[in-house]
Amino acid sequence: MFGDLKRFDNGIGSGFDWFRPWLDEIFQEGAADIRSVPRGSFPMINVGRTDDAVRVYVLAAGLAQDDLDISVQDNVLTLRGRRDALPGENEGDRKRPCFRRERFDGEFVRAISLPEGIDVERAEARCHDGVFEIHLPKREELKPRRIDIQAA
Amino acid sequence: MNEVTRHEAQANVPARERRSRAMRPPVDIYEENDALFVVADMPGVTREGLNVEVDGNLLSIEGEIRIDMPEGLTATYAEAQAQRYERRFTLSHETDTAAIEARLENGVLHLRLPRKERHRSRRIEIQAA
Repeated sequence: MFGDLKRFDNGIGSGFDWFRPWLDEIFQEGAADIRSVPRGSFPMINVGRTDDAVRVYVLAAGLAQDDLDISVQDNVLTLRGRRDALPGENEGDRKRPCFRRERFDGEFVRAISLPEGIDVERAEARCHDGVFEIHLPKREELKPRRIDIQAA
Repeated sequence: MNEVTRHEAQANVPARERRSRAMRPPVDIYEENDALFVVADMPGVTREGLNVEVDGNLLSIEGEIRIDMPEGLTATYAEAQAQRYERRFTLSHETDTAAIEARLENGVLHLRLPRKERHRSRRIEIQAA
């Protein structure tokens, strides 16, 4: 799936037209979301949808099951947590030489807007290898439904 | 860039296309106890998808993101825009490449690059005159 996402690189491109309606639904008018963050923020978030659910993938390396706090209120999904880049760094009396410090260190809060009609009661999340998958089912009545054509 | 030709190219030479699209994992590098430590964030990478190689003095770290996704999933927003990570470093000659250790924990790669025995720092005692 991530391979398909390169078309989002600059937002406006030939692949943009079909994608626009979905963007509008989440971001309203395609403007930057008030809670959007610059590239390279921690954790990285990908959002996808299927016919019956919205799926959020949180790429939070170094976080175990209990380290991420996930909550939903008023269609806003909030992710909170803390990641210590190098735990135990300040122990001992000698400071070690450090050549690069690129990894995120400290507390984070990220929030993303969800589309209407999520059934929060049935939401679930699981994690493996530093990726949290949040499954947010749509409410039954909002799922696409096939309409049979009856003979006249 | 033309979307259509790019997609065709991807279908024909998937391996090369995949190689060209990689994220650069952020790293911390520090030195401690006669070894260099490299810590890299590679969420979604499993042991099987990880490839750490030393070729001469070139250290390459590669990892493939393995996430199960349901059929028919349409991406609506994406900060992670590739399926793999890739980063390279040149090592200095004092690294004992045969003794490099790697550990992967919750998507964080920990590498320990020990120094060769003869390059270890030795404290020089100053003797009283």
